[in-house]
Amino acid sequence: MTPLARMLDGAVLVYQWTLSPLLGGRCRFHPSCSCYAREAIAAHGAIRGAGLAGWRILRCNPWCDGGYDPVPGTGRD
Amino acid sequence: MDNKRLILAMVLSVAILAVFQWVMPHPKPHQTAKQVEASSTTATPPGQVPGAVQDASGTNPAAIAQAPQADVRIPIDAPRVHGSINLVGGRLDDLVLKDYHETVKADSPLVRVLEPGSEKQPNFIQFGWSAAGGVAVPDSRTVWKADGDALSPGHPLTLSWDNGAGVVFRIIYSIDDNYMFGVDQQVDNHTAAPISVFPWSRVSRLYAPVDASGGFLVGGDEGAIGIFDGRLQQKDYKSLVKDADAHGGVAFSAGDTGGWAGINDKYWLTALLPDSPVPMTGSFRHIDGEGEHAAGTYQVDFTTQSPLSAAPGATARFLSHAFAGAKEVHLLDTYQSQLHVADFWKAVDFGWFAFLTRPIFFVLDWLNTVFGNFGLALMGFTLIVKALFFPLANKQFRSMSKMKLIAPKVAAVRERFKDDPARQQQEMLQVYRTEKINPVSGCLPMLVQIPVFWCLYKVLYGTIEMRHAPFFGWIHDLSAPDPTNLFNLFGLLPFDPTHYVAALHIGVWPIILGGTMFAMQRLNPPPPDPMQARIFMLMPVIFAYFMAAQPAGLVIYYCWNNLLTAVQQWFIQKRVAGEGKTVQSAPAKG
Repeated sequence: MTPLARMLDGAVLVYQWTLSPLLGGRCRFHPSCSCYAREAIAAHGAIRGAGLAGWRILRCNPWCDGGYDPVPGTGRD
Repeated sequence: MDNKRLILAMVLSVAILAVFQWVMPHPKPHQTAKQVEASSTTATPPGQVPGAVQDASGTNPAAIAQAPQADVRIPIDAPRVHGSINLVGGRLDDLVLKDYHETVKADSPLVRVLEPGSEKQPNFIQFGWSAAGGVAVPDSRTVWKADGDALSPGHPLTLSWDNGAGVVFRIIYSIDDNYMFGVDQQVDNHTAAPISVFPWSRVSRLYAPVDASGGFLVGGDEGAIGIFDGRLQQKDYKSLVKDADAHGGVAFSAGDTGGWAGINDKYWLTALLPDSPVPMTGSFRHIDGEGEHAAGTYQVDFTTQSPLSAAPGATARFLSHAFAGAKEVHLLDTYQSQLHVADFWKAVDFGWFAFLTRPIFFVLDWLNTVFGNFGLALMGFTLIVKALFFPLANKQFRSMSKMKLIAPKVAAVRERFKDDPARQQQEMLQVYRTEKINPVSGCLPMLVQIPVFWCLYKVLYGTIEMRHAPFFGWIHDLSAPDPTNLFNLFGLLPFDPTHYVAALHIGVWPIILGGTMFAMQRLNPPPPDPMQARIFMLMPVIFAYFMAAQPAGLVIYYCWNNLLTAVQQWFIQKRVAGEGKTVQSAPAKG
């Protein structure tokens, strides 16, 4: 991981441990948006990973069906 | 089981509140009102010059900080301020705000924004001229002559000084009903040759406030501030000293017309607003000091870039305004439009999200006029936000009604993958997806909450309207942390733990917050990772502790918001569970 990717990953981890339980919301997808962000950054690097994560969060709204949505290109079905 | 616990947590919260309300001694309202009245009358002796020797019997604790002695002063008396003008130097160096007390106690001293050099916290405004060609100009020791015995709205005061060589200098002060001084600097040339002068104005502060610091995640906006060419320039006390040392005493300097500059406190401002449409140079400076005023002098000043000239027999005039008072949001806006001051509202630190924070402030302020209490306004605001998101909730409800149709499928998935929570979650989402329903609203609506929370923090923490805004029970100031403390059993033990360890403080409202968070967590399935699950369990405690140091209003908002969300979610889940059970049992029989 590049330093930038490591930093973003850390930021998401901090979110998962602090804000996430506070906000009490739940994601419409599996894996959840924050897990998705970490996997995407690990698989595609900081820039593309962050872009994928941002797009995922935008999709995670009541007008979207949700469901199983793995990070593209991670070999998971 | 979960529902029982939630109800228990809520009942406990309410019980704590009730017991506390009963145990805590609180002042009787009429008594407080009397104290306010008494302090405001004693603090503003009509017609008395604060410079005069004060009656020794005036031992009322509400008496303002000792006014300066032994110099010649003319009283200032306006609806919202009182103080005096120092004829030595013609300075504005004594001003007290009638509407604001130093602490939440009604008998605490009134807030003093301007203070002379002889006092502990000197902060004053001075106007003058510099001149070329050997023209004698007034200085800080010049004793001015006044043409009246008071300065009040509608009654300007003219100070004059003859330099003995044919030039008469005049400063005409006026004051409005709030915190704005009008200043007219005039120079009469009675000599036979034209003269040139550079009018200047400056704010000087001979101390650095010890408590000048920001709250969590924000730097303080205290120190030198100004708008130059439409851009906000700020230097806190530390960087003012550092930059001034590096650049020969001048930390910042820029040319401008139509801007303003001054020294900013969290709630108060001392600022200069040159009116005359001539190019000015504004500077932030620090001059080293020693002895009594070791902090040196922090100075913000304006001077004209080119001289004003007065032909023989003529008068050179320069107009400006000076603000000294409380940064009330509506008042600053009024001055901004009336006096055409660029971005005067920026004296209040609304943060990066000002475009969102200001509208939220105005809604809260309006709700306060409706409810008469900012705490209730906050609660009303939360309801409004919830109402705005009602279409989402409504969609959710309709989705819920479809839930019972797929309940057997969900139950089957639950049963099949009960040993693998991650897989179970995944399969359930797949069911929801194929059936085009989903019991949660998603991450995007959730993330929208974060900026709102931040804006509320900025409003509560930074605006004077929230300062000393009371709530019910023991909360007398929504902008300050909850004053109660678990570690001395809420006042039952006669000592102050923060005296020994500053961090030993957690109030009642933060504890209630922890309780509501705990209840919220019960409503959601625990995270699959056991380490993460353990941290989740700790979060209510950590957060209650963290929020204990934040404005009480923020904690109350959070509790209220959690309660509303929990009730809503609990209701939905109950409905779903109830409907699920009835449908589920039918096919089992068949």
